[in-house]
Amino acid sequence: MPLESPCALGPFRLRVDPARAAAYARETGGDVETVPLAYPAIWLAEPSLFSVVRDLCDDLDVVPVHESQSFSYDAPLVAGESYDFSVTISREDTPPRLTLVAMVARLDGEPCARVETMMRLVPRAALASVS
Amino acid sequence: MSGDIKVGDIIPETIIGPFDAPSLTRYAEVSGDANPLHLDDAVAAAIGLTAPPVHGMKLLAAFEPMLRAWRDDLIISSLAGRFVQPILRGDTVRLSGRVLRATDDEIFVRLTAYGAARAPGIIGEATLRPKAGA
Repeated sequence: MPLESPCALGPFRLRVDPARAAAYARETGGDVETVPLAYPAIWLAEPSLFSVVRDLCDDLDVVPVHESQSFSYDAPLVAGESYDFSVTISREDTPPRLTLVAMVARLDGEPCARVETMMRLVPRAALASVS
Repeated sequence: MSGDIKVGDIIPETIIGPFDAPSLTRYAEVSGDANPLHLDDAVAAAIGLTAPPVHGMKLLAAFEPMLRAWRDDLIISSLAGRFVQPILRGDTVRLSGRVLRATDDEIFVRLTAYGAARAPGIIGEATLRPKAGA
């Protein structure tokens, strides 16, 4: 059940850095000539965005554990191009979870991709007790 | 054309890894995911793991080249996965896939990634479509 209204962030104007896209492809076994489908994972780790998640987790004394991830494309990302990246963060308590839904749009507004990240929120105390 | 693809078709298995600590460090640097769980043996041990887990995203992303190698006349329109259990540093990883639905316009495949454990580390899915003009 949602505990609060979803939190909307952005849009952030972000660029597909060609060198970083190639490096990401190399580290995931891909073709360096195309932008990896999973490239937006880099944007999700942007400090301006992920700091919201980190601060919330610090407040709740929980650790986010990546539970699932999806990428759905209307059009492929193009190296060197910039996109608007808008994120909605929702929180549930049963089970404790954060869901980030990011919409990627071209600068003319055309939708390009939808990215969904689900993170289970695990109490730090529970993690400590495992050992 | 994708008309020759049938429900039940098996995508050739791909073996990746095992990934060592420098490999996980490089992925952390390029992705920005510097979660110490993936990089620090002590943090992994604190939650009962014998080694740090490989980043789930690094493994999920590896399905893309497998699918491209299978059929270069298709484009991947979606890729998704659930991170069911950790696949650990040092594990050899088997990526596999099977066609669950197939029409002329769309192919839906189930994906799995196995590490050393008997249960899958990732259960995923992908949707592929014919390239324009293919």
